[in-house]
Amino acid sequence: MNKAGTDIQFAICGSAGDGTIAAGDIMKRAAAAMGFHVIAFDVYPPEIRGFGKCISRIRVSSEQAYSLKEQTDVFVSLNDGHAIPHVGEVRDCGAVIYDDHLIAPVPEGGHISAHVRPAQIPYGLPIRQVSEQATNSARSRNIVVLGYVAGLLDMPPEPFHKVVNQKFATKPPAVAEANIKAFDAGFEVGRKVFRLDDVEVGSAPEADRGEAVMMTGNGAIARGFLEAGIQSYFGYPITPATSIMERLAVELPKAGGRFLQTEDEISAISATIGAGFAGSRAATATSGPGLALMTEMLGLGVMAEVPAVIVCSQRGGPSTGLPTKTEQSDLNLAVFGGSGDAPRIVIAPTNVEGCYRCAGMAFEIAEAFQVPVILLIDLYLSNRYETVFPSGRNVFAPKPRQAPERREGEEYKRFALTESHISPRALPGDPDMMYTATGLEHNELGKPGDVLHMKMNAKRHEKLKPATRYPGLTTCKRFGAEGKVDVGILGWGSTFGEILEAMFEAQEEGISCSAMKVVMLSPLPEEELRAFFDDCEVVLVPELNYQGQFANLVSGALGRPVVRLDRTCATPMAVADILAEVRRLASDVNEPAHAAAGGGA
Amino acid sequence: MAAPLHHVIIGSGSAGFGAAKTLREGDPDCRITMFTMDGIPFYHRYELPEIFRGRTDWRDLLAVPPSFYDEHRINLRRRCRVVDVDGAAHTVSLAHQETVPFDSLLVAAGGRAYLPENLTGQADLIHGFGSFEAAMKVYRDLPKGGSVIMIGGDMIGIDLLLTLLSTGYSVTLIVNAQTFWPHELSAGERAPLLDVLRNKGVRVIENARPVGISARNAGAPARQVALDDGTEVGGDVVMAFCGLASSVEFMLRADVDIERGLLVTPELRTTNEAIWAAGDVCQIWHDGDKAYKFYHGWKNVRVMGELAARNIQGAHEPFDVDVEDSIWVGEDGEIHSTFWTRET
Amino acid sequence: MNERVEPVYLEEKLEEIRADGHLRYRSRSLPTWCPGCGYFSMADGLTVALNRLGLDNKDVVVVSGIGCASRFPFFVNTYGFHTLHGRVLPVATGVKIGNDALTVIAVGGDGDAFAIGAGHIPHAARRNVDMTYLVFDNGIYGLTKGQTSPTSALGFRTSSTPYENGDMPLNPLLMLLSYEASWVGQAYAGRPHHLTDMITMAIEHKGFSFLRILSPCVTFDKTDNTYRNLGMKVRDIPEDHDPSDRLAAMALAMEEDHPALGLFYREDRDTLGEVMQDAARKAQAMNLAPKGL
Repeated sequence: MNKAGTDIQFAICGSAGDGTIAAGDIMKRAAAAMGFHVIAFDVYPPEIRGFGKCISRIRVSSEQAYSLKEQTDVFVSLNDGHAIPHVGEVRDCGAVIYDDHLIAPVPEGGHISAHVRPAQIPYGLPIRQVSEQATNSARSRNIVVLGYVAGLLDMPPEPFHKVVNQKFATKPPAVAEANIKAFDAGFEVGRKVFRLDDVEVGSAPEADRGEAVMMTGNGAIARGFLEAGIQSYFGYPITPATSIMERLAVELPKAGGRFLQTEDEISAISATIGAGFAGSRAATATSGPGLALMTEMLGLGVMAEVPAVIVCSQRGGPSTGLPTKTEQSDLNLAVFGGSGDAPRIVIAPTNVEGCYRCAGMAFEIAEAFQVPVILLIDLYLSNRYETVFPSGRNVFAPKPRQAPERREGEEYKRFALTESHISPRALPGDPDMMYTATGLEHNELGKPGDVLHMKMNAKRHEKLKPATRYPGLTTCKRFGAEGKVDVGILGWGSTFGEILEAMFEAQEEGISCSAMKVVMLSPLPEEELRAFFDDCEVVLVPELNYQGQFANLVSGALGRPVVRLDRTCATPMAVADILAEVRRLASDVNEPAHAAAGGGA
Repeated sequence: MAAPLHHVIIGSGSAGFGAAKTLREGDPDCRITMFTMDGIPFYHRYELPEIFRGRTDWRDLLAVPPSFYDEHRINLRRRCRVVDVDGAAHTVSLAHQETVPFDSLLVAAGGRAYLPENLTGQADLIHGFGSFEAAMKVYRDLPKGGSVIMIGGDMIGIDLLLTLLSTGYSVTLIVNAQTFWPHELSAGERAPLLDVLRNKGVRVIENARPVGISARNAGAPARQVALDDGTEVGGDVVMAFCGLASSVEFMLRADVDIERGLLVTPELRTTNEAIWAAGDVCQIWHDGDKAYKFYHGWKNVRVMGELAARNIQGAHEPFDVDVEDSIWVGEDGEIHSTFWTRET
Repeated sequence: MNERVEPVYLEEKLEEIRADGHLRYRSRSLPTWCPGCGYFSMADGLTVALNRLGLDNKDVVVVSGIGCASRFPFFVNTYGFHTLHGRVLPVATGVKIGNDALTVIAVGGDGDAFAIGAGHIPHAARRNVDMTYLVFDNGIYGLTKGQTSPTSALGFRTSSTPYENGDMPLNPLLMLLSYEASWVGQAYAGRPHHLTDMITMAIEHKGFSFLRILSPCVTFDKTDNTYRNLGMKVRDIPEDHDPSDRLAAMALAMEEDHPALGLFYREDRDTLGEVMQDAARKAQAMNLAPKGL
């Protein structure tokens, strides 16, 4: 992250009924409309109704950022009880904004002003009163305070007005009008405030990549699917994947596709495989517990060489685990889950844009390799917002199908052993190529007699190898210093954002380091990994699971040692934790005693 | 183990800050809470004119860094307005509806600028100078080389006036009874001091009372002051420096005696056993004069804060004025005052 | 039942069979079932029915789970998908949704259907997926060599119930009638012509058709569902049965001692495909915004 230019993190904290997330939503969309890069993540309470804590954190920057910051610049409390424990995250000279006219008495320490540190800047305003004066209702407190923030920080009101109007477009016009009034009232108050903080919004960079669109990882996956011409979707609700299903429930019928909520995850994957067998671009999405149920059918997809796309958004596990907390502990399940040797493609994007691009290419890859493709993300990626610059139209549009050359009737070798290990696939409806797909081991005809188990096993594994170089898909990428470095940081999934932030900071401290993201977890891009290991004195693998699943995968495949940084903290990894480990490793590498003991190679 | 004592201080100026520091020195275990309406930690008000020399970042004005409060476990609560003190229940109520209990309360709320009664209707056209925020507003509203109309001109105002002159601004001084306050001067004593100002280029208006202020241009901070002799003077900013009025309105239910300020014994205790006062907010019993007297000025105020803190913790030291206030024209031709320099 | 009054000459019969055309629906793979298995007549019944309906082999997909019956797809010359134990219905649903033009036939045995796969049946039925589900019910697990199944009779001795089966057998017809299946019928492997007619009707039905086919397991059941016992128990469905009367159908289904053969229940309602087409029309008309923005 470039230190110059805008880089502000907002946090709005309140209870479920306060419109906290809605205010955050308007803020992030307005910032995106101004042309800023935005990364945002909302934290919801696990309970559906009630007054649980909500926090919306929004990082607005002029340069691409890779994760949320640990420190917040501007913090808004809509509920002191929930907000007080979070005041500490506000940086020195950052702003803490709150209601200074409570409606009910509180005991000592019950007001947030008791917890603002002397280096932070308190801004109190009568949020409720302003809301009531502007709209005759206290319900617009969230919008009032949004206006206040905009006024305080000298942000233009127009983008906010635009987003408010969009947000309430389906409601009676009075709703949008009331919210605009509330915003303007807050804006006027904020504009007149004497500033003591040093938060500078600055101006947005010139747009050079077209219009940015604000989306979550789940939204990006749904959009990628739609642009790639998804034809059928089967799903079963499960946190944190549900919003993919909800988005496609609305959008897929519009596009002429078919959507079905099934009775369970087994049915969802079964129907996806069935539709894939019939030639439909089909997908399902789930989380770890659902993927665990799906593994048997996934094995059938591998065995019968059926294309399918399965999204798994990981949450804390095992079992029901931590449904609303992020984790990266389903790697083993995604890469290895199921019976027998069942190779499949596993793609783990590292940010929202990656979700969009990987989803956009997933069907093509599944079809090209005739195999289930798992898109492995996590709750943090599913739910966080980022500005994405969508591709021009038709980039992901499906390519016309090439039907296999006609074979005569029952002599059609659906599983013919070929040089590329990929056999031309007939679809039901294709004349004279009737065959039966099966989960039984089979011969080239697909018959369970005269089986070729060793050859077929080799075919299923070997055919996937070129996937690591599939054109248009970034399967791994190195960042930071080129060539030999002291410390290499190897990462996957959402944690790579924190890794990049840590690496940039380490570089500024003069540490020789470099980072590599691995997007394709199965098959692994081994050649690039080997080159990276060759360049690094030591390789650190930070990930959000207890066992070091990715570390195991890589060091097992390459036979190279790695240093693990495993966290199961139910939150994204702290940049500071990674940085501390990088510093420690760098000093180990450079410590003369250590180098001498190493034998001077 | 008994719960640690909770000392509450209202005000974070010289008196309040000095008291907090002294309380901590005297008792490492007590709780200390300091309420202030200000948005930033303690700074010396007398340094506010420095803003006109370019010290506009509040962090440069702080007497101690913010970490001082954490290190000394002083809970500094800014932007908190005390609306009521219950002298029987020993609680402080804040405008935002929080109630805070105390074992001892030190009122060091200071005073606010006194405004001539006939001008209170035009208060919004008069720039204040009571806080960093107010001072910054003056600085921002005053064009480079612009002019200030100063009504009265107490010693705080004269300090600003001298800074303004040395930084290229011009000043019109409308003299009244509070000019050079808190020094109580006769017309004869005042004349040489005014001459010094005249010589420095100040336009001094005597024997005329301001009766109205108007904004010359819509939006612009330009002002026109009408005088009772029918003339008018113009300037960019109007300021009033007519002495201080004690801030005591939140003490009406506190079970303490109030005249103009809070009445305290020489040990700075009010008529309520648990409540002390220090600084510009209090009038101290003078046994010789048989009267309650104000003692203004930075030095007095700080001494009072520290003294009150010691007495709260069990000492019985009386407040003792060791320096007579005086103002004079020095050999260098400049105005000197114990109010500024704390030396004679 | 006196069909064979006239003598039948093999050569003539073979000529007739070849000319009939249904053999083109038979694959060259020889069935792996035991000689005498009731499933042979079902395989024959399906090929005759497909031929009778004039369906093109390429447009038919036979989907199965795991079990003796589920070997079925290999023995017919259509597209086939031999899937996992218990998952025939969701896979078949996916195939149908994936390509609505296909005729989808799901097949399986009683274990595949009513034990491991029982959770899927109500949903395929209530959604009215336009496909045919043929359940070959012999009341035993044959492929794993003779264990009890959900339709095994009380007191049945198998390798997994050496002290007699004590679990009440399920009533598949009653289940399907209460699951909102839009076509429910029963046939018997020992009456191949009737079976063929029933399969034909089931495929013709628009919506989810469920045909239970009673069959003996000649290898592992020498006591209960034998040709002899079944032949004595089964009866024609009463002529006055009204197939639109679901309560009457349920009452008939409960007479398990004398299984009725024929159509129990039939109703016309929108299929899943039609519901999805309707959703597409509504989506165009309403142009809903997705959740959020």
